[in-house]
Amino acid sequence: MEKKLGIYICACGGNISDYVDIEKVKDAIKDEDCVILAKTTMFACGDSNQKDMDADIKANDLSGIVVASCSPKLHLTTFRGVSERAGLNKYNYVHANIREQASWAHSDNKTGATEKAILLVKAAIAKARLAEPLVPFKIKSQRSVAVIGAGVAGLKAAIALSRMNDEVFLIERESKIGGKLHDLDTISPEQISGKELLSRLEEDLKKEKNIILLTNSEVVGNSGNIGDFTLTLKISGSKGETTKEIKVGSVLVATGFNSYIPADGEFGFNQIANVITLPQFRDILRNADSKKFVLNGKEINSVAYIYCVGSRQVKGENKYCSRYCCTAAVQASLDLKKKYPDIQNYHFTKGVRTYGKQELIYKESNRVGDIYIQFLDKKPPIVTELDGAISIKAGDLLSEKKEIEALADLVVLVTGMVPDKDPSVGSLFKLPKGRDKFFNEIHMKLRPVETVIDGITIAGTCQGPKNVMESVNSALSAAAKSHSFVSKGELELEPIVAYADKSSCNWCNACSDACPFNAISKIEAEGKEVASINKSTCKGCGMCLPVCPTDSIELISFTNKEMESMIDVLAQ
Amino acid sequence: MDKRSAKILVFSTEKISDPAIDMAGLLKLHYPPQVFTISVRCSSGIKPKWILRAFEKGFDGVFIAADGSDCSYGESCTEKTGVIVEKTHIMMKEMGLEPSRLRMAALCSVCSEAFVKQIKSFTELLLKQEN
Amino acid sequence: MQKEPINLSFDALVIGGGIAGGEAALNLANNGYKVILIEKRLSLGGKMIMLSKVFPTLDCSACITTPKVSEISRHPNITIFTESDLTSIEKTGEKNFIAKVTRRPRYVIAEDCTACQLCEQACPVIVKDQFQYNLVGRKAVYIPFSIASPKVAAIDIENCSLCGACEKVCPPGCIDFTQEPREYIIHAQTAIVATGFRLYDPTNVPRYSYGEARNVITSMQMERLLAPTRPFHTILRSSDGKVPDKIAYVLCAGSRDDSMGNPICSQICCMYSIKQAQLLMGALPMADITLYYIDIRAFGKGYDEFYEQAVGMGVRFVKGKVGRITEKENGNLTLRYEDIATGKLKESEHDLVVLSVGVKPNSEPADIFTSHKLELDSLKFVKQSDPLLSPAKTTIEGVFVAGTATGPKDIPDSILSAGAASSEAISYLNQ
Repeated sequence: MEKKLGIYICACGGNISDYVDIEKVKDAIKDEDCVILAKTTMFACGDSNQKDMDADIKANDLSGIVVASCSPKLHLTTFRGVSERAGLNKYNYVHANIREQASWAHSDNKTGATEKAILLVKAAIAKARLAEPLVPFKIKSQRSVAVIGAGVAGLKAAIALSRMNDEVFLIERESKIGGKLHDLDTISPEQISGKELLSRLEEDLKKEKNIILLTNSEVVGNSGNIGDFTLTLKISGSKGETTKEIKVGSVLVATGFNSYIPADGEFGFNQIANVITLPQFRDILRNADSKKFVLNGKEINSVAYIYCVGSRQVKGENKYCSRYCCTAAVQASLDLKKKYPDIQNYHFTKGVRTYGKQELIYKESNRVGDIYIQFLDKKPPIVTELDGAISIKAGDLLSEKKEIEALADLVVLVTGMVPDKDPSVGSLFKLPKGRDKFFNEIHMKLRPVETVIDGITIAGTCQGPKNVMESVNSALSAAAKSHSFVSKGELELEPIVAYADKSSCNWCNACSDACPFNAISKIEAEGKEVASINKSTCKGCGMCLPVCPTDSIELISFTNKEMESMIDVLAQ
Repeated sequence: MDKRSAKILVFSTEKISDPAIDMAGLLKLHYPPQVFTISVRCSSGIKPKWILRAFEKGFDGVFIAADGSDCSYGESCTEKTGVIVEKTHIMMKEMGLEPSRLRMAALCSVCSEAFVKQIKSFTELLLKQEN
Repeated sequence: MQKEPINLSFDALVIGGGIAGGEAALNLANNGYKVILIEKRLSLGGKMIMLSKVFPTLDCSACITTPKVSEISRHPNITIFTESDLTSIEKTGEKNFIAKVTRRPRYVIAEDCTACQLCEQACPVIVKDQFQYNLVGRKAVYIPFSIASPKVAAIDIENCSLCGACEKVCPPGCIDFTQEPREYIIHAQTAIVATGFRLYDPTNVPRYSYGEARNVITSMQMERLLAPTRPFHTILRSSDGKVPDKIAYVLCAGSRDDSMGNPICSQICCMYSIKQAQLLMGALPMADITLYYIDIRAFGKGYDEFYEQAVGMGVRFVKGKVGRITEKENGNLTLRYEDIATGKLKESEHDLVVLSVGVKPNSEPADIFTSHKLELDSLKFVKQSDPLLSPAKTTIEGVFVAGTATGPKDIPDSILSAGAASSEAISYLNQ
């Protein structure tokens, strides 16, 4: 039966229509084979257009639709939903990306962008003509979640999941839980120490019956899919190493951050005594004598803080702002001042970023007489030893770019956050990373705790720098998301799998060798040995396709016919 | 269409290189509009006959944006994609096609600049060959 | 006449239909809970649906908001009351909340309205359009804005002349002047407060001349000028319709200043100003754009890179505090500011000035809780009883808070806090 297609071309409120002439696109495709309806719309994803599509599908008995709009990463599910609600199989909807790959990519060339958009829509139409209705596979989901990392984010996520009645495996590679909370002193806005926070979390953890805590444990193996992952754990104990397999429906990654370690000589680090990092400073301050602050035999009467060490680098790779460190440094300097009121603090900053209510801490710091110097990228601080003290010289934006020199007994390098140095979890789960090398979410606003790997969520500072409150918010969000993957007991999987044509297949092993998931086995059929592909273990990667000498394997929705018809159209 | 550009078909992967190419658009890192992308699940699932079809139908070049080590289907991806390219290169030679018209490079999900650089240098190479 | 209030029961009551309330409602509904979402305005989507594009990705705001709003409005587990006032909530026991809600009449039968806009064309009354931040006018019967949800007309009865013109042209005959407020009693087991923030009112600072000088506008008005559904389809200054070519941004307008009644940093203004500057560079390539700032707070993921991108594009950043804005005869503005780099007082002329207004608390939610006290913090934001470990908890057990009700937040942080609130609410329901 001939397909009846409806085509929707989105203006995206100008994002597309400012560069692509969408009326021209519509005119160019409206007479294509099978197209019985072609429309332009201000916002394809908007409620009113969704209603129009629903009505159009029903009124015209459409058997397929094409939406030409933004990247399918954003709204594939939106339009699949529209199709389903209108009674059309969702795999009969095909998407054409004319925003990221036409209007925006070629905003310098409106004619070119329009011509490209026409071909992209035509290719999508070609595919839609051939698209078959498909039924997703249903799988049972494990009602359990693995939380990797027992810092503040992992702990909060685990407790939240347990309270939502999910079974939780809380996996920590260290022997103790708490992560970086051990190193934190006063945490704003509560004026409470990391240790106190941790003991409250430990109390909460004890009350939870659904959490299995596994310390000294590392995840070394991963197989399976959303709903049914099998993780292999390596657990070190007094009697040596053991391995353990666990089955979970979702994995919540909360592996945290490392503090940036300055290079030798970076602002005098490791070369000048009494040049230390912020975490070292906090550690020393916590244990320092309450009357006099002495370090390396020297009484400390003045402290200089150099901000943005390892962050916002002009020359280095870390271009990002580490977000938490301005407040953390100002807070640490206030803690110092509280213990030793006579010490003078000098802050060498690139502009203080105590955003939101944290501004009140900065105000307090100014009130107690701390001195702030904003250095210029062109004249960053130079740290040298001078007559038993340390000299810090920098160009000051706040005083007509004059060079300012401060003498201090101690220099604190306000180091930022860098991704966890252990890459194993990231590479095991194939988690994509952003430009900052932290794990990347699918979309900062639409799906902020999900990754492109279905069933795996990210929480806390492994996604990017955060303070404690922000880490907890992201941990609880990730817990809610992981919970929704496992709570229904059943999940839908995409039916995009490979299948072998038994009549042309002459079993040769090549496909089963290529398959990374052991989904292909030899069976007897039509009086010969042929390949058979297991639908539930096939993940649809297509690695078996090019190795078949008789071209007997096709991948659903990426068949020869579909691919070739698209190639033919795009070549026009 | 602009004669001074080459027509290129890009095979890109849904999860890894598509996001990089989309981000190139988002950042308005321009590249010639004669570059078209077809998404596949994994770069090691591209059939040589599809590549040859593209040349037959008039594409000047084919670019495979491979997943590299980020591939969510396994470590063997890069190697397998390499084998496909090798096999296709041999077929191209037999057909009298210049093998350099098929290029492969690994792109991560944020490698937008790398993508645009690759496409620009590939375009230059293809245009040079034409002359 | 309605005699008895209508009783309805839900698992969760969400107060506020902005992006945070919507996200919290969706999270709960997707986990099988029945939710009622109360919104006082005519449309869902809060402030976000009014924005042009969002930083740092420059996605259009509508592209993100409208599908979310659409998902909320058709979700089988979510009931939506727009144009509704929640007058009181009483907690009668754990997992037992009773709320009184008044649905104000739209004077339009929502189910029958097709948003054809014929009523708008027929209506003779023109008033300022609050959804376009008073940049343009609207009719007394109107659809709030083009991507409103629900997209249904409403009659502004205060300004309506009761001439009946709309009634005559309405094809489905859905204008109904006999509608009256309807009272509801809502029973719910948990409540989420997502009442958002207010924009700082710059008329509090007379030296900015806002409201007097015609070409001094707020950043929210600029959002509307830049939005895809914008009123003029281009950037114009309001005094004379001239396309501006020397635009100034005054940052911290209503932030970080005790004398303005707001000691804290509003957390979003630096970034939205940088975003608007980039969009303006795109729309008006020849224009000079200058940002007068105290500190640039580009702290989130990809934000500092976005700031550096703006520097690279040629946006001027001047570290300086603007003291006074005065209007010249031709409508241009003279800015007097302290140039911090030189320590000198300087003056500069611009043809359009945008005040990057800050975030102020919305203290309304404190008043609606009757039996228990929903405490506010010293800044009048909703107080977090355990800000570090349970940021969504309030001083009432079983009442959670999402989004900017607790303090300034950008969109990603609002969405994460909504996720946290829904997670806490599910835990509470499971107790």
